Amino acid sequence: MINRVRELRAGHAWSQADLADRLDVSRQTVNAIETGKYDPSLPLAFRIAKLFRTNIESIFEPGKE
Amino acid sequence: MARVPEAHYQRRSMAAIVVYVAIVMLVRSPAREATSLPAQLMFALLPVAPMVYVIWLLARRIWASDELEQRTHLIGLGVATGIVAVVSLIGGFLAAGKVLTLEGAASFLLFIFPLLLLIYSATRAWVARRYGIDALCDDGVPMYQKFLIGALLLAGVATWLYSKGADDFDLGVLAGLSAALAIGAVLSGVRRWRSRRNARPEP
Repeated sequence: MINRVRELRAGHAWSQADLADRLDVSRQTVNAIETGKYDPSLPLAFRIAKLFRTNIESIFEPGKE
Repeated sequence: MARVPEAHYQRRSMAAIVVYVAIVMLVRSPAREATSLPAQLMFALLPVAPMVYVIWLLARRIWASDELEQRTHLIGLGVATGIVAVVSLIGGFLAAGKVLTLEGAASFLLFIFPLLLLIYSATRAWVARRYGIDALCDDGVPMYQKFLIGALLLAGVATWLYSKGADDFDLGVLAGLSAALAIGAVLSGVRRWRSRRNARPEP
């Protein structure tokens, strides 16, 4: 899955730790999502979308299988 | 439940393990020499208390983890449980076949929990690395320092017990564990040095 989490975070001038605090996850989990090593669960994806006031589809899109 | 800081967990579990080692060494003789059943039971089961505390800490930590951390914990515990189950079966059948003596089987049982923790930690670290996480060093304290502190603590306990006239078995176990941790410190230090040398700054 490809995502725009890093881009959106940078847009808010948040560090990974800031975003992790807001999502109630670890900084390393944020890093794993941003680097595409981990695809978040649906509830976490919704939390991310809600935080950035957008919808899931505009943040996450399927990558090449 | 609030997230448990890694450093908080590490400090408490390390303290509990040091208490455990000290109790195990201190109650070996009283447990054998006690004459009444309640005293025997108390001395024999006293080392279980700090380990129950470690299990409680671990459960609390996993419960408060996020979804990725819980995944790494779950895989680590699953692999550790599977391997320990096989090792326990082997030990049980060896004892049933009288290849292992009953005393040997009892000593074997004592290593089940440390083995489980060791395999769980190693597997979790390996899985976490696949997600770009350094599970052994996510609290700001480098792993080689943790190994080194553990080695020094165990060496300190061994020296203290030596001055109290402890038996060779106890001293051998402690010296072996201390040496293993010291080797771990060196390996971890080399790994850290190599990864720092190859490190690239985050964009």
